[in-house]
Parts: sequence; C-alpha cells; structure tokens
Amino acid sequence: MDMFRRESTVSKVRASYEWKGMLFILPVLAVLAFLDFYPLGISIFLSLTNRSIAHLFVYQIVGLRNYAAIIGSGELFRILEQTAVWSAGSIVLMAGFGFLLALLMNQPGIRGNRIYRTAYLVPWAYPAFITILVWRGLLDYQLGFVNKFLALFGISKIFWLGLPSMAMFSMMFVNLWLSFPYYTYVYTASLQSVPKELYDAAKMDGYGTFGVLGNVTLPLLKRQIAFITVFGFVFTWNNFYIPYLLTNGGPGTSTYILVSYTYYEQTALLQYGIASAYAIVSVLFLLVFVILINRYTKMMSVLY
Amino acid sequence: MINNVTEPGLQRETVLVSERKNAYYRRIRMIKRILTHAVLILVALFAIFPIYYIIVNSLSPLATLASVSVTSMVPTLSRISFDNYQALFAYQHGVLLRTWLTNTLIYAGTSSLLGIGLSITSGIGLSRFRIPGKKAILYMLLILSTFPFVIMIIPFYDMFSTLHLTNSYIGLIIPYSAGAVIFAAWMNKNYVDSIPRDFEEAAQIDGYSRTQALFRVLVPMTMPVIILTLLLAFFGPYTDYAFINVLVSKNSLWNMALGMYATTQISSNAINYGMFSAFAVIMGLPIFIIFIIFQKYLVSGFSITMYK
Repeated sequence: MDMFRRESTVSKVRASYEWKGMLFILPVLAVLAFLDFYPLGISIFLSLTNRSIAHLFVYQIVGLRNYAAIIGSGELFRILEQTAVWSAGSIVLMAGFGFLLALLMNQPGIRGNRIYRTAYLVPWAYPAFITILVWRGLLDYQLGFVNKFLALFGISKIFWLGLPSMAMFSMMFVNLWLSFPYYTYVYTASLQSVPKELYDAAKMDGYGTFGVLGNVTLPLLKRQIAFITVFGFVFTWNNFYIPYLLTNGGPGTSTYILVSYTYYEQTALLQYGIASAYAIVSVLFLLVFVILINRYTKMMSVLY
Repeated sequence: MINNVTEPGLQRETVLVSERKNAYYRRIRMIKRILTHAVLILVALFAIFPIYYIIVNSLSPLATLASVSVTSMVPTLSRISFDNYQALFAYQHGVLLRTWLTNTLIYAGTSSLLGIGLSITSGIGLSRFRIPGKKAILYMLLILSTFPFVIMIIPFYDMFSTLHLTNSYIGLIIPYSAGAVIFAAWMNKNYVDSIPRDFEEAAQIDGYSRTQALFRVLVPMTMPVIILTLLLAFFGPYTDYAFINVLVSKNSLWNMALGMYATTQISSNAINYGMFSAFAVIMGLPIFIIFIIFQKYLVSGFSITMYK
C-alpha cells in the first residue's frame, strides 16, 4: 500500500515538471552542452595524448604519462605552491583590507562617505588590462615612479618585479589595488544587512567596538563572508592578467601560477597535452576545494 | 546611578565628574574620527593615483618612462601638450587604430547583445518553472564559473579551425557570447528569485496567459539585471587579450588590447611610454565613464545577483 502511494507521488512529481520551462533556458543548455562540456571533454582527452607542435595532427594516446611527467619533474608542485601562495596571500590582503575599510566607512556619522565611495570605485571602474600595465611601469626598478618617489625619503631603489619574493609580493599588492573596492562594497552591503537594533542592543549590554564585532557582526555574517571569501579565492586562483601582464612569470618562472603557466605551455612552448594536464589538475583542485569548504561551512546555502 | 543620589552637593560633584567623562569621551571620539578620515583619505589617494598618473603623463611631452619624475606629476598648464595623442592618431595614418576600435566595438557590442538577448528568459525559466534537473543545472553553472578559461583555449581553437572560423569575427563572438550566457543566466536567476510572484499572478487574474504574464510583466521588471549583465558582457571582450591572441593572427582583426600591447611595446618599459599613456586614456576612459554612470546597477547589482 505504502509502496503504491510512493510510486504515485513520484509520477505526480514527474507529471508536474514544467517542460515548457526548458524552452526558456534552451540557450543556456545549448551553451552548456556545446561550448562548455564538449570542449571540457576534448581537454580531458588531450591531457591523455602526446599532442604538441611536433605532433599536431598525428598524435597518440599516452595514458597518464603527461601527469607523471609534470609530477616527476617537480614542476607541478612548484607551480601549485606558487598558485597557493598567490591566492592565499592575495585573499588575506584583499578581504582583510576590504573588511576593515567597510567597517571604517560603516561607523555612524562619518561625513563625506559618498566622496570616499566614489574614489574607491576608480580601480574597479578602469579596465584592469590597462591599469596592470600602468602598474608595471610604476614599479619599474630603474625608471618607475614608485622608486623615484621613495628616493625623496632617502629610500634606495627596490627590485619590485626583479626578485622572486618581491615580484610575488608586488603581484599581490597590485591585486589589492585592483580588488579592494569590490571587497569593500560587498562587505559594506552585508554589514548593512545587519539590523541596527542588534547593534544598539549589544551596546546596551556593554560591548565595545570589538565586542560588537565578535559577538554580533561576525557570527551573523559568517556564511556570507565565507561565500565571498571562498569565491574570491577561486577567482584569484584563476586570475590570469596580473601574473601574465605584470611579471609574465618572471623572474625565471617564479611567479607563474597554474593559469598563466598553462597559457605559457599552450602559446609559447606549444605542448598541448602537457598544458591540458595542468588545466585539468587546476580544475580538480578547485572542485575538491569548493566541495570540502562547502561541507564545513555550508556556504552554498546562501544561494538557495 | 544618579537617581540614587539625594544630597545636592554630591549631585553637583557627579555632574562634574560625568561632564569630565563626557569631555573625555568626546575627545576620544574626535581622535577616532580624525584617524578614520586620515585612513580613508590615504586609501582614496592610493586608489586614484595610477589613473591620475596616466592622464598627466598622456598630456605631458614625454618620450619615455625615464622622463617621468616626481615633478612631472604636478600639472602645470603651460606644460600641457597633445603630442602623445597626435603621435597615436598619426600611427600608420590612424588606419590601424580605427580598425582596432571598430573591431573592439563589433566584438563587444555584438557578443553582449547576442549573449544577453539569449539569456533574458533563462532567469525566469530557472526561477519560476519546475524544470527537471534544475538543481543540477544550477550547480553546473556555479561550478563552471570556477573553471579557468585556459582549459577552453585549445578545444575552441580546434573546433573553430575545423569550422574555418579562426581569424573571423564570428569565431570570437561565439565564445564571448557563450561566456555571457552562463553568468547572465546565473545572475538573472538570482534576481528573478528576489521578485515576488504577486505581480505575474495579478496579471494572470487580469486575463493574461502564464507565458504572456511572464513576458509582459516579469521580463520588464528584470531590466536592472539586464542592464547589469549587458555592461559586464561588454566589458569582458573590450579588454580581452588571452582569447583573441590565440584565435586571431591578422592585425586587421585585432582589438584595442592586442593593438596597444603590440604598438607601444609595453613589454619593454622604456619604449613609447607617451603613446602608451595616450592609448591607455583613450581606451580606458570610455569604460570608466560608463562604469561611473551605471555604478548604481553595477555595484548594488553585484550583491543582489551574486549571492543573497
């Protein structure tokens, strides 16, 4: 009896599917199928072949040999480490700075808030492709403005882009300049979603600034902050233009990250099989990362 | 505390104490406020400086990066010159610059209109209909947005060279529009979710069919997100370098980004810095102005449509 009832609910659900809705999302489905999953499949396949400029049209399936090669040479782990340093360092800087700035601007009775907000829009509004190149000039060792400016204070020239560790730091710094407006704005939006009464109540209970922050603001915004930060991390992981335009991987290969290194393998070394292997590793890593984080924070629930 | 005090002398004393306390707190608040403004102003200068720098450079008679100095950053009316702009427009008689500008507008304009046009209904479909596998589609949209674009480059190159679409406008418009469809569908869905069903239901009571109600009532209400996604879809191809660099080799099909990178030889910093500055202003300022005009949609739209 029970079984029958269940079966009838299943068929009822099936009957209540609205197939007409499919028409509304037909373009989305087409793009997903032909321009996302099909190329993705090709990429996975290519990562299992020896395709390169030398074997452009005639190439063989070599199994996992590409993966073995990039693991064996230690190259993969080095690039992975650089990617992780770059993403983690950037996100700590950007999200931290953005959140602090949002807190500062959200204090009651700060005048000129609108002027500040407009000024902070500038790095976001100007095309990043251009401003990264501008920063490249600004940070030049011999001729750059930053070193000339620092010389006024008697600070000797700094190899912003010329030393491996400094170059990585400069990339994060430029990323901070480019991205803090976004983080400031989204954090401001989430701070403003906290009802004012809660702050007043917490003040009445005798909490100071940090007490309110730790006991009201952060617990309430935990999920939103996790979501913003995790996707910021993923976006930074995939950020192509800063590593490509600012340092172009140099000095040596010390500032390549997975995306820019894959591009380098594709366009300069013309090793398509190897390049695909790097791309697939990156995808797998991000998938595992997002799934794991979601298991602990349930941040995806922000979406439903 | 004061309520318990009855003796007049004591009361005056507590008032004095509390006044002193108030003055102390006021001073603390003052210091806090001044510090806050100091930080906010410094950050504002930091945010604006690179743009200021490139605009001043483009208007100075500069030849190379070497001639940029701390004093050349202070603008003086007598030193303003348009040499850099003239040099840029005169480059190859201005033919290439015009071509690149036209190409950029074709790529960005067509692909944003096409991509967003195709995804106008997707938010409604994903939000209002019980579509089989809806949750899977939503997860896919989200997961796909975490994939690096480099994974698509070789497959796209393969597909398009089989179809003889490399070195063509269509070969670029297709991937640009495809990208736009994916993120626009996602943002549209979240936006439609935030609109109550009452409006379309009222229209249905007034005699519209469901489809009519959705198209005539709900679609116009999604205008803000349509504008938002249209702008974002325009910005992407406008400064694309990575895709077009692979899919196009003829310089008659380049966009502004490729053109700028090549002509100003920015990869070796000392060359053509004046021309680079002029290029940077001409290419960047329109986007900057559009962004500032539509900042309401862009900034608030982000927080509504990316997460709730």
